[in-house]
Amino acid sequence: MDGISYYDLRHVTGEVTHIDIDNGVVESAGTSFFNKAILRVLVRSGWGVLQIDNFTTCTGRKFDELLERAARLAVITEEQVVLGDVQRRQLPVPPLKEDPREIGLEEKSALLAEIERSATLPLIVNRRANYIEKFEEVRFSDSSGNEFTYGMGRSGFNVLAVASRNGNVQMGYEREHSIHGFNLRHQQDVGRKAAQTAVSLLDAVAAKGGKMRAVLDPELAGVFAHEAVGHASEGDLIQEGSSVLKGRTGERIGNETLTIVDDPSLCEFGFDPVDAEGVAVSRTEIIRCGVVNAFLHNRESLVAVGNGIAGHARAMPGEPPLVRMSNTFIENGDSTKEEIFAECKNGIFLAGSRGGQVDPGRGVFQFNAEYGYLVENGECTKMVRDVSLTGEILSTLHQIVLCGNDRKMSPGYCGKGGQSVPVSDGAPHVLLVDAVVGGSGMD
Amino acid sequence: MRWWVAVEWIDQLIREAEKSVDEVEVFYVEGTSISADLRKKKVSHATTSQDCGLGIRTIRKGRIGSSSTSDPGRWRECLNAAIASGNLATPQEWKGLPGPEPLDQTPLSFDRSLEVGPVTAGKLLEAMLEGAEEHPAEVTSGSAGVSSLEVTLASSHGIRYTSRHTSVSLSLEAIHGQSTGYEFDHSWALDRVDPTTVGERATFFACESAKGKDIPTGDYDILLSPLAYAELLGTVFVPALSGRNVHAKRSRLADCLGQKVTDPLISMYDDPLLPGADGSSCWDAEGMPTKRTDFIRDGVLCAFAYDLKTAYRYGKQSTANAVRGGYGGSPSIGHHNFVVDGKRDTVDDERVIFVHNVVGAHTANPMSGEFSVELSNAFFREGGEFQEPIRSAMLSGNVFDLQHQITGLSRESRAIGSLILPSVRIKKQHIIGK
Repeated sequence: MDGISYYDLRHVTGEVTHIDIDNGVVESAGTSFFNKAILRVLVRSGWGVLQIDNFTTCTGRKFDELLERAARLAVITEEQVVLGDVQRRQLPVPPLKEDPREIGLEEKSALLAEIERSATLPLIVNRRANYIEKFEEVRFSDSSGNEFTYGMGRSGFNVLAVASRNGNVQMGYEREHSIHGFNLRHQQDVGRKAAQTAVSLLDAVAAKGGKMRAVLDPELAGVFAHEAVGHASEGDLIQEGSSVLKGRTGERIGNETLTIVDDPSLCEFGFDPVDAEGVAVSRTEIIRCGVVNAFLHNRESLVAVGNGIAGHARAMPGEPPLVRMSNTFIENGDSTKEEIFAECKNGIFLAGSRGGQVDPGRGVFQFNAEYGYLVENGECTKMVRDVSLTGEILSTLHQIVLCGNDRKMSPGYCGKGGQSVPVSDGAPHVLLVDAVVGGSGMD
Repeated sequence: MRWWVAVEWIDQLIREAEKSVDEVEVFYVEGTSISADLRKKKVSHATTSQDCGLGIRTIRKGRIGSSSTSDPGRWRECLNAAIASGNLATPQEWKGLPGPEPLDQTPLSFDRSLEVGPVTAGKLLEAMLEGAEEHPAEVTSGSAGVSSLEVTLASSHGIRYTSRHTSVSLSLEAIHGQSTGYEFDHSWALDRVDPTTVGERATFFACESAKGKDIPTGDYDILLSPLAYAELLGTVFVPALSGRNVHAKRSRLADCLGQKVTDPLISMYDDPLLPGADGSSCWDAEGMPTKRTDFIRDGVLCAFAYDLKTAYRYGKQSTANAVRGGYGGSPSIGHHNFVVDGKRDTVDDERVIFVHNVVGAHTANPMSGEFSVELSNAFFREGGEFQEPIRSAMLSGNVFDLQHQITGLSRESRAIGSLILPSVRIKKQHIIGK
């Protein structure tokens, strides 16, 4: 068609099943259905994009009409876009150990109720457990003749326990999500852990803010990698000039021991068999031995910025692909957990994550731990609550002085541009010096 | 007449549902939206979407079921899924959906002159860029969107309400060296947004904050902008006013009715009929006629927000606070236009740290209210003027305790999402500097 240099169509259908149990009451449980497509058309002056609910596959004149509608939108665009040449390959989706779709809603609900009940302890005043299961059938095709089709499912649960005593209200929160199949069986320990954390936090003290040595557990150190480095390495942000990592390839920003990777081909919660632009996925070492090495790209930012590979475009059903992280982690170092605590000597141990946020242009990030302990003489002593860390991307990475050898990945969701996609973050235990810890505790 | 043409299948759905359940509620939304995105100063994408969605809620002997689909052609499947979901739900006390009321169906947030097309979005971007020229920061990204949608609520009790809404939203991000600025605006009407000021403020903040200096750790009087205050209130305080969280013991305000929970300066209420506000509506998501609900009057907690489900379960009255975040799921407790009000004054005569925005508010502890955030675009302010910018600092505290330290509300209010609030002056807050 005249003026159209490229188009692609990503059509996703599927269903979502959820169960919500609140203090023993099944609040809601059921299944919903979706059918969404996105058609992107590239003309000389930029992208025209159609988002279509209830898409029916069509060909010939009907499809041409859709292309024309999208192209007409480009009357207001004014950017010349060049798409990079890329590798095409679809990875096999890992098989499900047990397919959640073959298990009835009642059985799922009964298993979730067991987990919810296991979060019972004296002083626990509220328990809540949620199950979520999402299956997607993805069909991708483009004007270059590439076609990919795959089905994939994710499922898992969250459990929340709230403890209360004399107006002091604290919570424990655990989550387990997987691409490997049904995971509600034999999980009562997870409920118990949420309850124990909530009750223990009733006796925790507010952390005192200031600069100190900090040991981060694998979950929190993973969030650190995600917030402090991952977002700032996204090619679209570099292209528009809102990342402090722009133009810093080859520059040392951390210690020799530090390597940070994003790898959508890894069979963790952020796995994609092929990216949302039909590009082969593989590993990108963002930071290699402390030096800025490569960025995450889609086809467009690859050409505009360079340095790295495409295959990092991801999208929710019916939404435009954006450059996103997938499975982001700090590589193992060679220290043991014991060595890390011994080296910390006096400081703070921070564990679990309540999420984080970054301003990649300013290079400032913040994230919050679920709980922590004071470290005295290399030993965890008093429990502390509501501790956060802030830092500046370009200086904070130097503060990671030791990386453990016990990397673990944790599943979660990451938001950008109004879209939330499944990711995993991970790391071994790490030691930070001069960490800026926030807390409301006073002397 | 339009109704009968558009929703024949909805009547069919209701008749079908009545064969197997006591009551059914149908929520159907259909709309069009257009957005355009900037990369630096050039429009890179123009996107249009045609959205539709159907949400069904069924009630049988106190068992509530729900399902949804983006394909109304599959309503039978969706209805069956809703009924199946109800079979699993724990039964609860239920006294019925509301019947129809002679409500005024004039749309309260609909701009009939709004053209939902790429040209409207393009003009908004142009005006933002023009405003951005005021200061030498570079624009990195921006977006403008317009949309129009029609919402239909129908039930087996004879409710047939239809309303139309429009929305206009815009935002711009800028950078100057390593200093960023962000501003946005939204409304239901095109002439109620100010794209030029959005552009000007974004580059202003980026430029001015670039000169920022560190400050020593200590206690300071602060002035939270409506945006910064909304971030903290929305994460912690507003959810604590939900009847559901109160009865589930997930609210720190649960046992505080009749007690002082903020400085006496402060009142907080939901006003669903506020003229000109984005969230105004004559009925809530369950078809209850809306009215103003006062949560906090002169510092004293006087009510919580209820939907029908929570009200029936705990022997309370619905405050018509049922909302839907979309067509999916069931209605839940929320608000229409949540207003923070009180005696207005000049709040920046005496020296104070002004905070435009915060990073990480969503990581606050929603139960205890403890938070710790990085400041964005913070300045000293004095005599009504911006003074020295602050490079980097952290604010730590407790959202519940902070309400008692408020000493002043600015004269102007601003809408941030569904919250409408002034800047608030708060005494002696702990700032971790460098």
